[in-house]
Amino acid sequence: MILPRQRKTPLFLKPLLLLPALLLSGCSTDGFRLFHPVGLLGGAELHYTLLIVGVMLIVILPTLVMTVLFPLRYHKSRNAKYRPDWTHSTVVEIVAWGVPLVIVGFLSYFSIQAIYVVNPYGPTALDNAPGAALAPLEVDVISTDWQWFFVYPAQHIATIDDLVVPAGQRVEFQMTSTSVMNGFYIPQIAPMIDVMPGMRTKDAFEVDQPGTFEGFSTDFSGAGFSWMQFSTRVVAPADFAAWVKATQASPNQLTYAAFQTLAQPTVNVGAKPAYFSAPDQGLFMDVYNAAQQGVVYPVPDSLTKSVSEVSAEGTQAPAGQ
Amino acid sequence: MLVNLQGPWSPLIGRLSLASIPYDNPILVTTFIIVALLGAVIVAAVLYYRKLPYLWREWITTVDHKKIGVMYIILGLVMLFRGFADGALIRTQQVMADGPDSTGVLGATHGFIPPFHFDQIYSAHGTLMLIFAATPLVAGLGNLIVPLQIGARDMAFPYLNATSFWLTASGAALVMISLFVGEFSSAAWVGLMPFSELPFNPGVGVDYWMWAIQISSIATTFNAINIIATIVKMRAPGMTWFRLPVFCWATLSTNIIGLTAFPILTVALTLLGADRYLGTHFFTVGMGGNFMLYVNLFWLWGHPEVYFLMLPAFGIFSEIIPTFSEKPLFGYLAMVGATFAIAGIGWVVWAHHFFTMGMGPGLNGYFSAATMLVGIPTGVKSFNWLFTMYRGRLTFATPMLWALCGLVLLLIGGLTGMMLAIPVINYTVHDSVFVVAHFHCMVLVIGAALFAAVTYWWPKVFGFKLDERNGQYFFWTFVIASLVLFGGMFALGFMGETRRLDYLYDPSWKPLLILEEAGIFLYFVSIYYFFKMLYVSLRDQVPAEADAWGTSRTLEWLTHTPVPFYNFAVTPQIHALDELAWRRSHGLEKAQPEQYVPIHLPNNTAIPVIIGALSFAFGFGLIWRIWWLAGFALLGMIVAVIIRSFDPNKGYILSAEDIAKMESNTGSASVIAEQPVRLPLSEVEAH
Repeated sequence: MILPRQRKTPLFLKPLLLLPALLLSGCSTDGFRLFHPVGLLGGAELHYTLLIVGVMLIVILPTLVMTVLFPLRYHKSRNAKYRPDWTHSTVVEIVAWGVPLVIVGFLSYFSIQAIYVVNPYGPTALDNAPGAALAPLEVDVISTDWQWFFVYPAQHIATIDDLVVPAGQRVEFQMTSTSVMNGFYIPQIAPMIDVMPGMRTKDAFEVDQPGTFEGFSTDFSGAGFSWMQFSTRVVAPADFAAWVKATQASPNQLTYAAFQTLAQPTVNVGAKPAYFSAPDQGLFMDVYNAAQQGVVYPVPDSLTKSVSEVSAEGTQAPAGQ
Repeated sequence: MLVNLQGPWSPLIGRLSLASIPYDNPILVTTFIIVALLGAVIVAAVLYYRKLPYLWREWITTVDHKKIGVMYIILGLVMLFRGFADGALIRTQQVMADGPDSTGVLGATHGFIPPFHFDQIYSAHGTLMLIFAATPLVAGLGNLIVPLQIGARDMAFPYLNATSFWLTASGAALVMISLFVGEFSSAAWVGLMPFSELPFNPGVGVDYWMWAIQISSIATTFNAINIIATIVKMRAPGMTWFRLPVFCWATLSTNIIGLTAFPILTVALTLLGADRYLGTHFFTVGMGGNFMLYVNLFWLWGHPEVYFLMLPAFGIFSEIIPTFSEKPLFGYLAMVGATFAIAGIGWVVWAHHFFTMGMGPGLNGYFSAATMLVGIPTGVKSFNWLFTMYRGRLTFATPMLWALCGLVLLLIGGLTGMMLAIPVINYTVHDSVFVVAHFHCMVLVIGAALFAAVTYWWPKVFGFKLDERNGQYFFWTFVIASLVLFGGMFALGFMGETRRLDYLYDPSWKPLLILEEAGIFLYFVSIYYFFKMLYVSLRDQVPAEADAWGTSRTLEWLTHTPVPFYNFAVTPQIHALDELAWRRSHGLEKAQPEQYVPIHLPNNTAIPVIIGALSFAFGFGLIWRIWWLAGFALLGMIVAVIIRSFDPNKGYILSAEDIAKMESNTGSASVIAEQPVRLPLSEVEAH
């Protein structure tokens, strides 16, 4: 192989020597959220990921080995067997088409099977979960520019950027957006699903042990997108009941009018939570219908050009299109 | 009728104002100074060496497919560099803006780029790399190589060819000017919807993006028509379909995609334009609009576009691997079949770009399985390349190294691509940097193929090879940089890092972000070697043989190196699939024709460059809503086309004596040599 001959490590390669150290410090595997699923749904996701990648490697690995081996083996200098006229082999072609075909067949089978298992609209992975016997907790998710509203219609409470759910009970979301698209995602526990204005999507999860998780938007939505995190706290059922009671006492009531003010483009730096009592019954459908009728929350030109920590709060009512 | 906009507007200069010039942004001002200095140096050099007439006559007004191909490639490389600069800014911002304690400079709260500017940079990065770097490079190679490989004099429509190029250049110029006048789109290269609509993007950024792509995609459609017509109608006698080189098959399939897919984009962008200019509601959320319609239309173009770029790369590998294995391509028919299988399946997989949009299991299942079908013909190609090398006699010149690197990257990109085709995995990594790392692997396959192709075919145009030593330094630094950068990015994807973040909330990502930044640093080193390679090669100019690599197999290596502007002195008769290899084995590769016959060639014309300039003015006028400018420019283009239709110029005749003279002194016929003015037929007849 004609490698560039180097007498000593060139200067520009020196930083590379630090790489192993960097990698090790970054790779306590705790950081790899997706390798540490929590709950049956996340577990099913990782299970199928590993299974499917394993099947793929059956064909990828030998090909990789051949890709490295053949050029070394048949380099001119090796004087290996040379057959310049060997350009067709029915056997090789049958294998070349057949093996990928069989692999893709298996992959498709597993893929479609897995879709039903983790289907956000009704995951069968949760069929045998401890909370399957309980009625699910329903949470309405409304994304604005650039915050998350979580409305608990049965509990008559709502929050901004703080999702609190009980352990051992299935949580079912219906989601919509006031303005543009966002992606709803809590790594480790819930599948990523887009949140769309004038449309309604669904998601679900169940976690059986208390814990804290980071959720965020995955689909770019504008200047405040990078600050669209929300905390997800899974708490013991008793703690959840206590939290609901405390939140119900909040003096802030989330009427539709109050929501329209809060839904104006706002960058919530640090995802500071807020809590409300008595959200309007049907707030979710109001937002959904308004979007369909052309109500938008326009982003002021000034806010698209420079995002300061000061939000443009309550400056204008939503406009018709 | 027209929509109301925020901000001032005047009939004379539209939305333009002094505030549109970002003179207060130090990054842009520095960029402007560098660009202006470079431009001044180039202009001064052209004037000092009195090369302006040469440039005008031999390049700017040319209709020669080889020169147009070279100009496409230069445009693509310049845009590749600009796109890389954007990539370096993105990476540097992210490594600086990690964690709540990170500090900010230059007006940014974190890092050094405020969100709005950052969003423009990543949008420009994607748009430039795909539409204005990869696409022109692919189009340029098609232009340059296809007529030579099929033994044609030129493309089927040389004037249309030049028009395609200048329209593409005009689109690229619009993206470049958006740096210094106004702003670029912040809505990603895909045009996120409804985010691209006026309420959320009231500035001119989306308009810049829309018109730049609109103009250049029309050019791509023209180019597709041209290449298809060339391959179908202009093959040399004896070149039956199954003697067509694989690169031509790949280019044919690519341009069938281009011809059928790009009009969809044109329609989608036209409807978006109607929304933004006329106040219609095609893609709005309310009032009966449906933004998912846009998303479907965009990816109905966008996915075939991926294969539009990928198939020529496969074609290039299929030319280079046999050459440096001293063996014909293994399984030619299977390769052709696989090429068209990929192109065909590319049509029916678009929704895998939005598995997370709440489609039911039935739809997701179909699109998952359909997407994975692409893996079969792609796998076939990999195997056939491997068995081309099997029992071959390999040498590792730079083009071959790039090709081998492409094969490895294809495996990594293929594995991760198949993963993403599985909805259950997609639910965890969609819109994460895992996806970004995956498609960078794939575009690096295209990049490797393009660098391979440029190195491989360089001597055909310029008569000397690129410097091998620096070429290999360039190769190795580039490959290591890619592995370091995108290895880190894959890992961050599993950590849950989302795409398009200008601020990262998790400080524990820092080490991997630093790793990625090290990759950027290595890319800079590789760019140094790239320029050193160019410099050393231009300085030494070691003349190359007609068959520069000694083991080439296809027709383009039969003619002289550098290739004469008339391609072949006599149209070759084709006897076999690998014509040059056939002639070599029959001892005919140096045979001279018994007699020459006159050649009919097209004259140069300035109409294409004028249309290009006017399309720039048209786009600029529409972007800033300077209606009179857009109107006059459109009128000008129509008038230019009408003038051209009445042009009596029928081209010129190169006499047999002239050809004989130039064949004995091949340097004088070189495509880059200055040619005397040759009178068009109509004037010869008139005299």
